[in-house]
Amino acid sequence: MASAYRFTCPLASGMHARPASALEHLARRFTADVSLTNDRTGQSANAKSVLGIVGLDIRHGDPCRIETVGRDAAWAAESLKVFIEQTLPRADDVPVVSERRPEDVRLPPVLRQANAVVNPGTAVVGGIGLGRAFAVGGFTVPDSIPLTGVDDVEAEVQRVEEALGRLLSHYDGRLDANDDGVEADVLRAHRSVARDPEFSRTIVHAIRARGCTAAGAVAEAEAQFTGMLAATGSAVLRERALDIRDVCRALLHQLYGKALPRDEIGLSGDSVCVAETLTPGQFLALDRQWLKGLVLAHGGTTSHTVILARAGGIPTVVGVEGLDAAALDGQDVVVDADLGIVVTALTDGARRYYDMERLRLEQRRVRVHRFIERPATTEDGHRIEVAANVGSAGEVSQAVAGGAEGIGLFRTEMLFLARKDAPSEDEQFEQYRRAVVDARGRAVIVRTLDIGGDKPLPYLAMPKEDNPFLGYRAVRIYPEFEGLFRSQVRALIRATAFGRLQVMIPMVSCLDEVTWVRGIIADEQSRLATEGVAFDPGMPLGAMIEVPSAAFIIGPLSEALDFFSVGTNDLLQYFLAADRANARLTALANPLEPSFLRLLDHIVSDVHACGRWVGLCGEMGGQPRYLPVLVGLGLDEISLATPEIASTKALLTGLSAARCRALVEQAMKASTARDVARLLDQRDHWRPLPLTEPGLVRVNADCRTKEEAIKSAVDLLYAAGRTDRPRDVEEAVWQREATSSTGFGHGFAIPHGKTDAVGANSMAIVKLRAGVSWGSPDDQPVRTLILLAIRDTDQATTHMRVLASLARRLMHEKFRNQVEREQDPTALCRLLHEQTESI
Amino acid sequence: MKIVAVTACPTGIAHTYMAAEQIEKTARKLGHTIKVETQGAMGIENELSQADVDAADVALIAADIALERPERFDRIRKVEVPVQLVMRNPEAVFGRL
Repeated sequence: MASAYRFTCPLASGMHARPASALEHLARRFTADVSLTNDRTGQSANAKSVLGIVGLDIRHGDPCRIETVGRDAAWAAESLKVFIEQTLPRADDVPVVSERRPEDVRLPPVLRQANAVVNPGTAVVGGIGLGRAFAVGGFTVPDSIPLTGVDDVEAEVQRVEEALGRLLSHYDGRLDANDDGVEADVLRAHRSVARDPEFSRTIVHAIRARGCTAAGAVAEAEAQFTGMLAATGSAVLRERALDIRDVCRALLHQLYGKALPRDEIGLSGDSVCVAETLTPGQFLALDRQWLKGLVLAHGGTTSHTVILARAGGIPTVVGVEGLDAAALDGQDVVVDADLGIVVTALTDGARRYYDMERLRLEQRRVRVHRFIERPATTEDGHRIEVAANVGSAGEVSQAVAGGAEGIGLFRTEMLFLARKDAPSEDEQFEQYRRAVVDARGRAVIVRTLDIGGDKPLPYLAMPKEDNPFLGYRAVRIYPEFEGLFRSQVRALIRATAFGRLQVMIPMVSCLDEVTWVRGIIADEQSRLATEGVAFDPGMPLGAMIEVPSAAFIIGPLSEALDFFSVGTNDLLQYFLAADRANARLTALANPLEPSFLRLLDHIVSDVHACGRWVGLCGEMGGQPRYLPVLVGLGLDEISLATPEIASTKALLTGLSAARCRALVEQAMKASTARDVARLLDQRDHWRPLPLTEPGLVRVNADCRTKEEAIKSAVDLLYAAGRTDRPRDVEEAVWQREATSSTGFGHGFAIPHGKTDAVGANSMAIVKLRAGVSWGSPDDQPVRTLILLAIRDTDQATTHMRVLASLARRLMHEKFRNQVEREQDPTALCRLLHEQTESI
Repeated sequence: MKIVAVTACPTGIAHTYMAAEQIEKTARKLGHTIKVETQGAMGIENELSQADVDAADVALIAADIALERPERFDRIRKVEVPVQLVMRNPEAVFGRL
């Protein structure tokens, strides 16, 4: 039996690894031989081999042919036809990091003129790190392992086949544990390489035909296949070569284990790790004390390596094309995850830029640092507790040092994840005890295990679900795994003897769940009392409000509970039926939807009517934009990531609780999230700020160019907390500068721009140590610049009058001389601001 | 000479007023009578009436954008210059009036 089917390749990026592996997957289900031919080149390959398919270099529009020969050939041809017509055209959605070209990056002017080599990528963990690059290798066979000279060829073949078998079951095991997300996509790709007949055939052939050792044969296969992929001229395929390299590396580890170099790399001094890929294990082996940045040629935003880097605050840029890690080794590089670039070949100008960046961030940090010790209060004296979200007991002391007034959410999942069996009661107790002790008198709200279909545990037999977020998780699984839950409850009760511990139940949707948990707690409390164990019998119990139904039974819940915390992430996605992770729905899952604000307001007022306490622990809490809304809702607490605590406290001092309430009242009456956004943009709820202040003055500044001088002034606005988007301010200023120079002669310039990137109309003054050329009418270098950043939306203020009179006064030599002479920031502010205001 | 003038720059934040000041200063120095209207971020200020314009010998327009109410200057001799020129060399500008 033989059958043939012709088609034209519908894929814009050609037959790359993903569709190829889908095709391979299907072809393998038939006993018939399946061959694929690219009629453009006349080449054919076994369709049961991804590498074979990919090697055909099938591009968009190429005429192709599938032939099946064997027992089930007709059925195979029929199935493949359906696949090619219906599934294949949609397989083009490549889940790789977007490739950015250098011209796509909007470089700040100072960096643009610095002539450094800029490699664009995608920032996955923010921040800037400078250090000496060190390459972490993908595939190398150490010299100690010979590449040829095998005595017993068949024994070597068997060794390779066994190692491949072990590797495949390793992939299978990992995919059984987690077959969702990018990591699983990559694992599946790796598995398909490892079981590809071409792959094993090539290795075995090298051993038999040329007497290669296993290592030599793997190295040959690696070179052959990566070379073949590189030759196809497709970026997507070139990236796939890394998968093969990864598989070869893993195979070598299976074969040689200890004989390979260890992953640990000793670092001394600031360092940046540059690698094609980095496994979580390799990341953990790096000395975090010196690790200032991470550059990966590929890797998604959700890989475990990236999650680890995020937890460690290591600036990370991925998807950097064409970076030669080995060539960079030993050179200084900058990982700029704010711009999403890696800067190599650091020029003097680039170094100066990053010195300025360091100063900018440091000054902001110092300003915000002052608020760590202060209680969180609004301008009009309204208290709102600012607490921290933590994932382990070890983070608590850090949170307290960062200004946390409590722990609003201690997620306990980390204790249970990534292990073969459940943690013992004592092990848990030790963690909870440590958390409350480290909190030093502050309350710690511990959320009981929130786990289920989306994060399965190997020691809990959980059914696979189509829709785990609407499924069997959190409080819903406790009755089935009662023993596990009781051990957590006992550990929590015991820890109350050492500090203020509160227990919070996740995913509550009805009263029965709470009643059941209360019963278990009471039961364990009486058992512990009988055992003579000390604990606080008044341990408060609360619930997350994250299922919309819970918002409408606050009364009955309050009978059984002491407090509530709104989990905005899940509440929002359940309320609007919009998956937050779905990029197509991000516009819909907007916390400013008036409907959602009404829900939040309803929750807070119902809880308060019942005399209970309500906090908020979702992502919404950590975003400055939403802060006025949260204050206006009247929440008792907001809980956010430790690094945001001090800056949130600082922002609160600029807000009026009364005006925030008025904002929320208005927002609830709005029709759309857009209208609410507009209300937020009006910023009526913020304390008015003066045009300038001593913190916005810099004297004796070391700037060599106009670009540096403007950045220096804009950075003052950032350091003072007047903008969070300094680059947008800079751009607005440069846009104005492009129409004509703002240097007006006599060594003065008045650069300015209109932008809502500033929270308030602002004036920054920079006096330069040495003048810079500005294109002024008298060709004089500029030594004094007065930079104005004016909000686009509210110009009709007294500020404009001040600026107009200042502009006029600057036309007078006497006034300019006064400004030039004055070196004291406070006096300079008075001179520029108050005197002109009185005109 | 009796002069009326209008200044207007793209953002209306700084140069509108700097140019106005420069023009007034120069006019005083050269002994002319002058009234300068500014069209800036605060809208039209020190507005020129049709009578002001009609009574003047010449109108100096220092604008980098289209003027508001340009019809007032339909019947008077106009000298139009970029704002920058007023800033750079006001006396030369006055020389052309």
